[in-house]
Amino acid sequence: MKKGVAPRLSGWLVNIAIAMTALRTNLMRSILTTLGVMIGVFAVTLAVGVGSGAQSSVMDSINTLGSNMALIFPQPDSEGGRQTFERGRLTTRDADAILREIDGVTDIAPQLRANINMVSAGRNAATNAIGATPGYGQVSSVAAQTGRFITDADVRTSSRVLLLGASVAENLFGDFDPVGETIRVNRIPFKVIGVLESKGSSFGNDNDDVAVMPITTMRQRFTGDTLAGPDDLHILFVGFADGINLSDAKKAMTELLRDRYRIRDKETNPFTIRTTEEFIEQSSQVTGIFQTVLVAIASISLLVGGIGIMNIMLVSVTERTREIGLRMALGAKKSDIRNQFLVEAAVLCVIGGAMGLVLAIAAGSALTAYADFPVPIGMGVAIGAIIFSALVGLAFGGWPAVRASRLSPIEALRSE
Amino acid sequence: MDHPLVRSTDLVKTYELGSETVHAVDGVSLSIARGEFVAIMGTSGSGKSTFMNMIGCLDVPTSGTVAIDGIATSDMESDALADLRNRKIGFVFQQFNLLARTTATDNVAVPLIYAGKGGEERRELANRKLADMGLGERLDHTPAMLSGGQQQRVAIARALVTEPLMLLADEPTGALDTRTSEDIMQIFQQLNYDGITVILVTHEDEIADHAERKIIFRDGKVIEDGPVHNRRIAASAESRA
Repeated sequence: MKKGVAPRLSGWLVNIAIAMTALRTNLMRSILTTLGVMIGVFAVTLAVGVGSGAQSSVMDSINTLGSNMALIFPQPDSEGGRQTFERGRLTTRDADAILREIDGVTDIAPQLRANINMVSAGRNAATNAIGATPGYGQVSSVAAQTGRFITDADVRTSSRVLLLGASVAENLFGDFDPVGETIRVNRIPFKVIGVLESKGSSFGNDNDDVAVMPITTMRQRFTGDTLAGPDDLHILFVGFADGINLSDAKKAMTELLRDRYRIRDKETNPFTIRTTEEFIEQSSQVTGIFQTVLVAIASISLLVGGIGIMNIMLVSVTERTREIGLRMALGAKKSDIRNQFLVEAAVLCVIGGAMGLVLAIAAGSALTAYADFPVPIGMGVAIGAIIFSALVGLAFGGWPAVRASRLSPIEALRSE
Repeated sequence: MDHPLVRSTDLVKTYELGSETVHAVDGVSLSIARGEFVAIMGTSGSGKSTFMNMIGCLDVPTSGTVAIDGIATSDMESDALADLRNRKIGFVFQQFNLLARTTATDNVAVPLIYAGKGGEERRELANRKLADMGLGERLDHTPAMLSGGQQQRVAIARALVTEPLMLLADEPTGALDTRTSEDIMQIFQQLNYDGITVILVTHEDEIADHAERKIIFRDGKVIEDGPVHNRRIAASAESRA
């Protein structure tokens, strides 16, 4: 006798129909059992969502630096018995050499940093200022929202101009447009030439609490006496073209800088280079661990839900022993009986899983709306949750189902 | 077709009850040919039900063999036995054993699921058998909505739906009143007249007298095996009315 696909498919449909009848018969019991799986799937799905949310937050904050770049800063130490200052240096000439000799460099952004106090019409604000060149705008995708960015001319003439971050502008001027106003920075008058585009906040860190002025101005007015030489830098951003391998570029820059400072083979680098690639790698490691721990904890509740399924399936098999015997007498094979109970467990779990998924999506949206924390639950996670719940059903329903299928027909028929 | 439909050879079934060994069936050899109507009789504990469970392939003999339609069942796997029960044997039970909260059609269609038939065909065949049993008006009724006699007729339809060679009925009238029992026996006689082998386990003489051959068990052994004299012919409900 040929058995086509249709009868086999209809066999599974029959099993689903049998399962639905059985679940309806013990409606309250089915609902309570489903609840366990629902809570488990809810917890796991939400944990996955929160983990991905943390990951995307970290990515966002890395991207505020600029997408394809490296950071170089001097790392003074006393290695080799030399003077700290001699070793731990990074200068404008180094920056120029990198731009000249390293492949794929599109822009360099040499920087100084200083804390400044600003006063304007009785209001004051303190912030961390960046002494930069026009290249900073390109490397870190920073631009003026109103007014203009700093120019080469500003840098050449060390002009007393600055741009304010959106938060600083708000603190000092409120809704009033500050462009063209004069403010005092550590008592020195500066002209506000622009307000920076907002970069939002990441991890409670306000990216708009910042001010930018020409690097030469900062060197002259605020940092000159703290530096070892007239063209020393606090930090250098190097922007690369798309598609450049950053770890190769890092090697090349390390070699170049070691060469320029005549570092011997065994000595450590007196500078540190970090690339966005490394940031992404490190932070995805951290967020990966975070997510794994979350999901692991959440899985415990799913395990408990699964044990509930197994418990109720064992009860169901015991209650329906006579039915199993009857079905065997009428021609059911072991596999037919096993599949019937597997399907019943899977149906229970999938219903619970779907409810848990809906709940997780709702909770995720609430978190996004009220706590400003993204909880992305995509199509992949949703489908995964449903498939996973079915697998929980098969795993925990497996043993009761196999037990049912091993009953002897006559023993089962005789049971009360 | 020179082999009998059922042949048992030195069939033995023993149970261990504590330290005691009970011989439920103790070396029974007999044959039942196609088309026979056999009543198996005996008091409770005589081994008649155990014997029937073994020839119905529901129970495994301790020793001896059973051959159904010429095929030895002793070394068959459980799946092959399930298939044999599905295709060649129809069971009717004392307590009907219908699935609760399930319509007459779906109850009768159960064996067809395991025969691998599609949904449409299952419904069609089940409804036809129910109509044959005079239940064409009650296809959607669940067991709770049917009388005892009607439930047993649903069960007979279920036993017949795969067109088996024989019906095995274990006290089929045990839960029914006399009048309804008469209806059921009339159905069995009609089915037997139409060619199906009927094997009936009962402890009531009036029921056994509807058969053609009577086999009496006592203490696991056959003590009498012969034709029924003065066979009763069940009157249909219509002719009685």
